[in-house]
Amino acid sequence: MSYFFQLVVSGIVVGSIYALSALGFVLIYKSSRVLNIAHGQIIAAGAFITYAFTVFVGVPIILSFFISLVLTFFLAMSVERIFLRRLIGEPIISVIMVTIGLMSILDGLIYLTPFGTENFSFPEFLPKTPISIGGVSISWTQLVGVIITFVLIGGFSWFFKKSTVGISMRAVSDDQLASMSIGISVPRVFGLAWATAGLSAAAAGSIIGNITGLNFDTLHAFGIIVFPVVILGGLDSIAGAIVAGIIMGLIQQFAAGYLDGNWGLNGTADVMPYIILLIILLFKPHGLFGIHEIERV
Amino acid sequence: MNAKRYFSMTTIFAAALSLVFSCGQQQAQQKQIAQAQKEARVYKIGLSLAITGPTSDAGNPYSKGVEDYLRFVNEEKLLGDDKIEYMIRDDQYKTDVTKRNFEDFLTEGMVFYLNYSTGSTLGLKKDFEEEKMPVVPASFHAGNLVDSNYIFLPIVSYSSQMIGLSDFLVSNHTGGTPKVAMFIHPSAFGRGPVEDTKNAVTAGLKMDIVEVVEHGKDLDNTAMLKRLLSKKVRYVLCHTVQSPVATLLKDAQRLGVIAQRFGESGKLTFLGVHYTGGNDLIALAGSAAENFYWSTSYTLTSEAGSGTLAQLALAKRYGRDDKAANSHNYTNGVMVAQIAVEAIRRAKARGVAVNRANLYQELLGMNGYNAFYPLTTVGPVSYSATDKEGVDTLQIYRVQQGVFKRVGAPFVSEFTKKVM
Repeated sequence: MSYFFQLVVSGIVVGSIYALSALGFVLIYKSSRVLNIAHGQIIAAGAFITYAFTVFVGVPIILSFFISLVLTFFLAMSVERIFLRRLIGEPIISVIMVTIGLMSILDGLIYLTPFGTENFSFPEFLPKTPISIGGVSISWTQLVGVIITFVLIGGFSWFFKKSTVGISMRAVSDDQLASMSIGISVPRVFGLAWATAGLSAAAAGSIIGNITGLNFDTLHAFGIIVFPVVILGGLDSIAGAIVAGIIMGLIQQFAAGYLDGNWGLNGTADVMPYIILLIILLFKPHGLFGIHEIERV
Repeated sequence: MNAKRYFSMTTIFAAALSLVFSCGQQQAQQKQIAQAQKEARVYKIGLSLAITGPTSDAGNPYSKGVEDYLRFVNEEKLLGDDKIEYMIRDDQYKTDVTKRNFEDFLTEGMVFYLNYSTGSTLGLKKDFEEEKMPVVPASFHAGNLVDSNYIFLPIVSYSSQMIGLSDFLVSNHTGGTPKVAMFIHPSAFGRGPVEDTKNAVTAGLKMDIVEVVEHGKDLDNTAMLKRLLSKKVRYVLCHTVQSPVATLLKDAQRLGVIAQRFGESGKLTFLGVHYTGGNDLIALAGSAAENFYWSTSYTLTSEAGSGTLAQLALAKRYGRDDKAANSHNYTNGVMVAQIAVEAIRRAKARGVAVNRANLYQELLGMNGYNAFYPLTTVGPVSYSATDKEGVDTLQIYRVQQGVFKRVGAPFVSEFTKKVM
C-alpha cells in the first residue's frame, strides 16, 4: 500500500510543478488570448538568474530566488512592451508568430551565455535526508517546491478574484473594447499579465532546476511538456491548471508504476497523459475548466 | 683615357655589376620563396556539429578541442609548411543543416570530414559513400557502420561499450546471476546497444536483463526505481545523455537506494556509457553522482598522464576555461582532429597526394605496427577494412569524492569480440 501512496505523493509533486509551469500560459492567455510559445525560455531564464546570483554573485539562494522573480517580472514586462505592445488589435496568429520569433531570440541570447551550452547544479542548501512517513518519502527540494507552488497559485487566485487589478485583467480577457470604455488601460493589463507570467515562470524554473540540475534543453522543454496540462485545464483557468497538473502528474506516476515494465509495455508514462487528454477533450472540448464562449449573431 | 675618367668608368661598372648581382640574388630568393609557396599546400577539414541547440553541452567543448588542435598543428608546423584549413559550422543538431554544411564543405574542396550526431551520420551515410569521403563522427552508434565503408568511429561503439560494461558488471558481481535494467534514450542513439547486449547474453554473458526503460523528461523516477527494486534489479545500465541520468541519480539518492559498494544487495548500482558521464554529470547530479560507474576510451584529466597534461596545456595555450579544458568532450574533439592530421601526415610521408582516396587508405592502414597512439585515449587507434571502431579498449571510471577515478586497467571484453 505504501507503494500506492508513494506514487500519489510523487504524482502530486510532479503535478504541482506542472501546474506552476502551466500558470504562465494561463495568465497571459487569460488576459490577452495569446499563447506564449516562448514560455519555456522564460522558465529557463528564471532558473539561470537564480543560479547566477547564488553562485556568481554569492547571494543566499533564497534571496536569489526572490531577485530572480523580480527580474523575470520586469524582463517579461519589457518583452511585452518592446515586441507585443504594437500588436494589440492585430490578428492573434500574428502575435503567436511573434512569440515564436521571441523564442528564437531568447534561445540565441541564452546560447551567448555559459548557460546555453554548459550544465550546472544549484548548491545543496536543504537537508539531504528525505522526509519519510510509513515508507513514503519526499525530498526537501520537492516539498519546498510544492509549498512554493501552492503559495504562488493561491496568491494568483486571490489576485484575480479580489484585487482591482486582477479583476481588470479578467475584464480585459472578457471584452477588450468594453474594458477600454470603462477606463481600463488594456496595454497596461497586457504588460502586467506578461510580468506575472514571467514571475511564475521564474519560480517554476528555479524549482525544476533544483530537481533536474540546470540544463537549458531540459528546462526550456517544460514549456512544451506542460502544454497538455494547459489544454486539459482549459486555457484560461487557474483552477484548471492546478487540477490538470495534478491529474497529469498522477497519471504519469501510476502509468510508470503499474503499466511500464508489465505486459511488454514501456514508456506509457509519457503517452498516457496524451491519451487521457484526448479522451477528456472528446467530452469537454474546452478543457476541464475552460470557458465555453457562446457567440450570438 | 685619363685616370679620373678611368676611375669613374670602373666605379660605374662595379656599381652596375653589384646591382645585377644583387638583383640576381633577390630573384633567386624570390624564386625559392615562390617554389616553397608552390609546394606548401592547404588541406581542408570540415566539421558540422551542435555548438548551440540540443546536446551543445557536448558539442561546444568538442568543437573547441578540434579547433585548438588544428590551430596548434598549423602554428607548430607539424605538417611542415602545409596548413590545415578547418571549417567548423554550427548545425544546431539539425540534420538538414548538417547536410547543407557538408555540401558547402565539398564545394570548398574538403578532404576529411568530422561529423557529430547519430541522426545526421545515419542520414548522410549515402552521401559519404557517394563522395567517398572519410568521416569520423562524434556518434559511436554501431549502426553507423552498417552498409558503410567511409565512416570510422573514433572509439568503440556504444554497443561494444555496453557489452564491455556488462562484462565488467558480471565479473564483479557476487552471488548468482545479476538482474539488470537498461535505462536508455528513446531514439536510435539509445536503442542501438539493446539488441547487441541481449545478443551478448545469448552468447553466454551471465546476466538477466529484467527491463529496458526508455526515459522521458521525468521530474520524478520514484515509480520506476521502486518497480526495479521490487523485481530484484541490482544494476542499472544507462545509455543516454547526462541530464536524465542526473535526475535518476538524485531520485535514487533521495530514496536511499544508491549502492555504496558495487552490487550491494537491496540497492542499485548505476553504470553508464560514454555520453552519460563526465564532469557534466557531476555538475548536474552533485553528490548523487558518487559511485556512478562509467565507461569510455578516453583519458581523463582527473587522472594525470602525458596525454592529459598535453591536453591541459593545449587548452591553456588557447585561453580555454577549466570547464572546457577538463571536459572529456574536449578530449574527444582533440582526438578526432588527431586522427585526421595523422592520416594527412602519413599520406605526406608516403609521398602520395593528400586527397580523400589516399586519406581513406591511410585510415585503413592504421593497424598492427602502424596503429596510431594519440595519448588522449586508453589504447591505440586501429582501423582496417573490417574494423572501423578506432580505440578498442575500454576504461571504467567511478565517481569518488566528486571526480572520476580509474577502476582497474583498460580492457576488451571477450563478448565484444563474439557479438560485434
